[in-house]
Amino acid sequence: MAKRDTRKPVIKKKANPLKTTKVEGPIDYKDTALLRKFISDRGKIRARRVTGVSVQEQRQIARAVKNAREMALLPYSSSAR
Amino acid sequence: MRHYELMVILDPAIDERTVPASLEKFLGVITSGGGTVDNVDIWGKRRLAFEIAKNSEGIYAVVDMHATPELAKELDRQLGLSESILRTKLIRPDAR
Repeated sequence: MAKRDTRKPVIKKKANPLKTTKVEGPIDYKDTALLRKFISDRGKIRARRVTGVSVQEQRQIARAVKNAREMALLPYSSSAR
Repeated sequence: MRHYELMVILDPAIDERTVPASLEKFLGVITSGGGTVDNVDIWGKRRLAFEIAKNSEGIYAVVDMHATPELAKELDRQLGLSESILRTKLIRPDAR
């Protein structure tokens, strides 16, 4: 496995969107402007490998999106077609 | 006493000016039971992401309060019984 150690990492780490927008503390389900960054245009929650947030943050985001959906702040699905 | 946050969607057919008064009436359960209502924020009419009971709009209100679990539950129950309320959400912001 020495070969693998010498190999340079190809995957570049994404900039954490929460850090760049300076969001502190727990994610609020009422902050739809923020949550919209983490859903696709179809209304689906973006995967962590796409958003580049930590596991804990992704969990908070997912919960916030689901709470927002229950209160009709975000769509469950927006079938554009 | 616990900190609760309550979000209510009211029927858009009712007059927006009567919203603070009618919310006040519901929140009487909290104040008479020894809880405190810290803040009432009425967002006003807002487009819903999808229809709720054939309504495409709703009047949103967010209430911050301190209450016992029993009081909060009772308030949520009473809100659910009302015809003019489309949906409620009771959340404890610090429980996570």
